[in-house]
Amino acid sequence: MDFDSGLTQCLPRLRRFAHSLSRDSADADDLTQATIERALLARAQWRPGTRLDSWLYRIMRNLWIDTARSRARSAKREAPPEAGDSVGIDPRPGMEASIDLARIMAAMSGLPDEQREVVALILVEGFGYRETAEMLDLPIGTVSSRLVRGRNALLDLVGER
Amino acid sequence: MIDDEQFFAWLDGELDPAEAASVEAMVAADPALQRRAKAHRALAGRLQAAFEPIVREAVPGRLSEAASPRGSEVIDFAAAQHQRPSRPKSVGLQWAAMAATLAIGLVAGSMISGGGVSPIVQEDGRLVASGELEQALYTRLASAPSDEGTRIGLTYRDKGGNLCRSFAGAGAAGLACHQGRDWRIRGLFEAGEGQQSEFRMASGPDPRLAELIDATIAGEPFDAAAERQAIAALR
Repeated sequence: MDFDSGLTQCLPRLRRFAHSLSRDSADADDLTQATIERALLARAQWRPGTRLDSWLYRIMRNLWIDTARSRARSAKREAPPEAGDSVGIDPRPGMEASIDLARIMAAMSGLPDEQREVVALILVEGFGYRETAEMLDLPIGTVSSRLVRGRNALLDLVGER
Repeated sequence: MIDDEQFFAWLDGELDPAEAASVEAMVAADPALQRRAKAHRALAGRLQAAFEPIVREAVPGRLSEAASPRGSEVIDFAAAQHQRPSRPKSVGLQWAAMAATLAIGLVAGSMISGGGVSPIVQEDGRLVASGELEQALYTRLASAPSDEGTRIGLTYRDKGGNLCRSFAGAGAAGLACHQGRDWRIRGLFEAGEGQQSEFRMASGPDPRLAELIDATIAGEPFDAAAERQAIAALR
């Protein structure tokens, strides 16, 4: 598996992870594009024989944290966003999205960042606890406790049907 | 009493067999824990289902262009040296279809389990057979089908030399290949409504499963004698 075809093959999953992290689909695709560009620039740092997907996820996650930070800074300068007004998120027109996606994205965006990324990597992306801990440079116990808090909160946010 | 972390580690298939069995016993004895497990399995299934269409839909052009070095403006010198002609797009599409089936698999998995041990668990980020499904893959023969539980379809070797078997259970059919000490799930497809009772053919009526078998098989599927021999050799 060379870098180029590996990157192309990872795109659908990277987009999904971006949707877990972002507020809406447009943000998610911007984040995916930024990740691709960063990955191409840093490709010499990827060691063949190691997992390309984890490497790409890690780049995306770090970029997203940077974006979230700068957004938080500019939000302080500008008018505050309507808190909690995230229920009206629409998936991009024409997107073949499930009806549930907008609702789930809204609920995910109600989680603290550090819980959301763990929930996304384990429950949506299907990584194991250990792989997630390695990707995030966290002790496995921290991953496990964030996952507990995140999924309990998410169950409350999504609600019983 | 089990703590939250242990409970969820059990639910996620992260415990070793002995720990898992002890949590399993505690959950079996506690209706409140059973409700909780059910609610959280449903939540995980709903998350998977909500995000799954993203993996299945075509990647927007601007992203696939950005990912092919030719279309990118940010190639550095080292990258340019490594540049190769880009692969045909079908590789990515094939992969996307595969990932989509795996995502469906998690949902289907929670359906098959009926509240008991999940037939498919995550190990090191891979989906592997567990419980009744794993047992069936190790022991059952297509030539001696059982009326209950998982039915085995075709057995064959894939291009990497791994032993693979197609299977069908309540509501789903799939393909698992034996690698290391696990049966890794290569694909899992939800059976359409009303299909389950007629699910008798070797590879099943699901064209996606047949396609997956076609794409991975090396040579011919095993006959009854070869199947028996191959399964005996695993033990």
